Amino acid sequence: MKKLLLIGVTLLWSITCCAVCLGQEKPDMANAAAAQASLSQLGQRRIGVLTGSVHDSYTIKHYPLATILHYKTPSDLILAVKSGKVDAAFYTHETLLEMLRHDHELALLGKPLFSVPIGVGFNKGNETLRRQFNDFLKQIRRDGRFNDMVTRWILQGNSEPVKVAGGKTSGRLVIGTVSDKGLPFTIVKDNRMIGFDIELAELFAAWIGKEPVFVDMEFGSLIAAVSTNKIDAIFSTLMITDEREKQIAFSEPYYELGASVFALKKHVAGAAVGADTHTVSFLSSIATGFRSNILQEKRYLLILDGLMTTVIISVLATLFGTLLGAVVCAMRMARQRVLVVPAKLYIAALRGMPVLVLLMLIFYVVFASVNINPVIVAVIAFGMNFGAYTAEIFRTGIEGVERGQTEAGIALGFSRTGTFVHIVLPQMVRRILPVYKGELISLVKMTSIVGYIAVQDLTKAGDIIRSRTFDAFFPLLMVALLYFMISWALMQAVEHVERSTDPRRKQRKAGRS
Amino acid sequence: MIRITHLSKTYGPVTVLKDISLQVAKGEVISIIGPSGTGKSTLLRCLNLLEQPDGGSIRVDGVDLLDKKSDVPKIRQRMNMVFQSFNLFAHLTALENLTIGPVRLQGLDRHTAEQQAMEILKLVGLAEKAHHFPDQLSGGQKQRVAIARCLAMRPEIILFDEPTSALDPTMVSEVLAVIRRLAREGMTMLIVTHEMDFARDVSSRVLYMDEGVIYEQGTPQQIFENPCKEKTSAFINRIRSLSWRIESPAYDLYAMNAELENFCEKQILPRQTRQHLLLLVEELLLLHGPLLPSTPIDLTIAYSEKKESIELVLEHRGETNLLQQELLPDELGLTIIQHLVQDIQCRRTDDVYRLTISLKSG
Repeated sequence: MKKLLLIGVTLLWSITCCAVCLGQEKPDMANAAAAQASLSQLGQRRIGVLTGSVHDSYTIKHYPLATILHYKTPSDLILAVKSGKVDAAFYTHETLLEMLRHDHELALLGKPLFSVPIGVGFNKGNETLRRQFNDFLKQIRRDGRFNDMVTRWILQGNSEPVKVAGGKTSGRLVIGTVSDKGLPFTIVKDNRMIGFDIELAELFAAWIGKEPVFVDMEFGSLIAAVSTNKIDAIFSTLMITDEREKQIAFSEPYYELGASVFALKKHVAGAAVGADTHTVSFLSSIATGFRSNILQEKRYLLILDGLMTTVIISVLATLFGTLLGAVVCAMRMARQRVLVVPAKLYIAALRGMPVLVLLMLIFYVVFASVNINPVIVAVIAFGMNFGAYTAEIFRTGIEGVERGQTEAGIALGFSRTGTFVHIVLPQMVRRILPVYKGELISLVKMTSIVGYIAVQDLTKAGDIIRSRTFDAFFPLLMVALLYFMISWALMQAVEHVERSTDPRRKQRKAGRS
Repeated sequence: MIRITHLSKTYGPVTVLKDISLQVAKGEVISIIGPSGTGKSTLLRCLNLLEQPDGGSIRVDGVDLLDKKSDVPKIRQRMNMVFQSFNLFAHLTALENLTIGPVRLQGLDRHTAEQQAMEILKLVGLAEKAHHFPDQLSGGQKQRVAIARCLAMRPEIILFDEPTSALDPTMVSEVLAVIRRLAREGMTMLIVTHEMDFARDVSSRVLYMDEGVIYEQGTPQQIFENPCKEKTSAFINRIRSLSWRIESPAYDLYAMNAELENFCEKQILPRQTRQHLLLLVEELLLLHGPLLPSTPIDLTIAYSEKKESIELVLEHRGETNLLQQELLPDELGLTIIQHLVQDIQCRRTDDVYRLTISLKSG
């Protein structure tokens, strides 16, 4: 077994190394094709935008001929530009400024194209909170605290959080945010969220005497979350647009965000190309990657946390799904139509629905008005999905045991239950294990979408790291390896059961002794 | 021991068992014979409630099986069943197949149960296969293990549902030998079987079932040598028959001949017999042709596989019989007929003349 694992890891390594080598060559080849670009030439190129952002609608309106590619996170957007998947991309001017301080590959393409006011989003029914925030905003503008924040975070590019003095608190203020927005607004540093938005939210929470609770979400889910009262407010550089105002209520604008276009420096006309083209040896680049992605700021803690969450969700969903599958299977095989029809419907519906949709449905619709831990929602959603598949697996397993054996058991004097437990079940378990094992592993990998309902799992941990380091290789490889390890461990467990239920084992043992 | 009264069972519109009453005494070996699909297996399966009867009652030592309060699993332990398709538990070795019942149901400790199981396996000659799995055994061995599995429960009655039907001919005898041995030792048994010779030797009573009823029953001698009823006799003598009803003089002789040839081929009758039969039918019909406008003629040809004899039965209505009154228009035809047949009998019941003709053999 150990040998197998070793082979697996080596293979993974060699594949990724090849990929890296190829990846390094690609930009050079694309160089000739991608001529020097400027804003006026953007019209027919590939432009990257963040899904659901104001840039998205702006690009569609102003560059009808361009190919618009949508990305989910800022780090994906930046990677897309770096790897040449898009020629240029839109992003918040302020964040780009901060980023370009550290990154020498990218450059801005001209001045900000437009600016949009940003505000805090509230549920339309929560007028009190909105008014409280507006009052709070007026006050900090008056007493200079706001200006101080702007200076520190935005103008100076400081990334040191200021401890917000918390008084007595009563109740919680649940704040929706996106942890990988990028500085100066939100970022994860030393495994906690910091930034302009975070400080603003903390100050506000302290002002109204509540404990701030941050929920890290996908940007696209924020509006849905606040309108279903999953969260109380959105502090995430939310731009005020007409469309959004239909859904939620905005505070007074607290800042004007510029929108800029950026591209690779060597493609930007007029930008001075730095002389940092010296090649770094492959090994040392791996070592640097490892340091910055795993060790720095104790990022491995983030990964460990994510790993725990993934394991907990997988294990609980497996248990719940298996039990549910057994119940559905029993209903499906019952003689009464009243039981069979709902079971059939359940199986058809759950198998015909993407898990992501199911997950969102349960979180935003079923438990809309209930304050529930999203991990539990994930366990329910994946368990329900798993149950639909295992029910059918169980059924084939049971039907695979000839009816005659059941009859023989009954004729021997066993009750129906006794026959099932002593005769059908042991044979069924052996039959279904190989299929069950596969289903189990796909469940583990399926859990990587829980980021949608604000659960920080292994994938999300990788995303957060990527948003800081803008390095695709290490976090992704690390996450892939860890998923492989979880699956491998689960496979071992199931195979152990498989071996121990093999009736031939006893015979072989007897044969040897 | 078992008393069945007015038992009936239907599957939707099909009646499988009609008003069956039967008593089984301790030590009896009862064979149930009869054509396929006449309810033999269903009767057996109703006895231990693998099939739920629709009416009647089954009492085992005075306990009514159909009473909701009866402990049916407990009664089944005393009345085991051997199936046509063995139905051994595939995940258990031969030995475990024998011990699972005593250990789980009768609370025997594993060690005692295994010792006892080995004894029984020795009895059926399979002690050396004790640690083999069902799929490592031949059909005959599987069925012997299945019988042993029943015996391990120390039952008072064993029901055999066609125990040899799924076996290769070479393996039938080893299974029958085991059942014979049980019969000698005084086990009460009900056996549904198609092995006539076996049924004849082993049984104390034979039931002939047909059309969902116990059509005839008696000692093996009565049933096999002197059956009272026609269907029983037809079954025992393995009689195959072919019959026509001719209603007008314009009948299709060629179609009849083709059918007759087909029938002969199926029964593998010698060529000469076939020709004689064809000739006989043709001449008989020629002779009786003049009667056709006034009466239909029923013609039946029956071949007994056991006696290897062929019988023709010709029935018609009316006052006259041609052969008897010698009003024959065609002397030659009669000569031919008399040459071909061994025996002609003529009987009249009510207004039907019945002519029974046996064909000369060879």
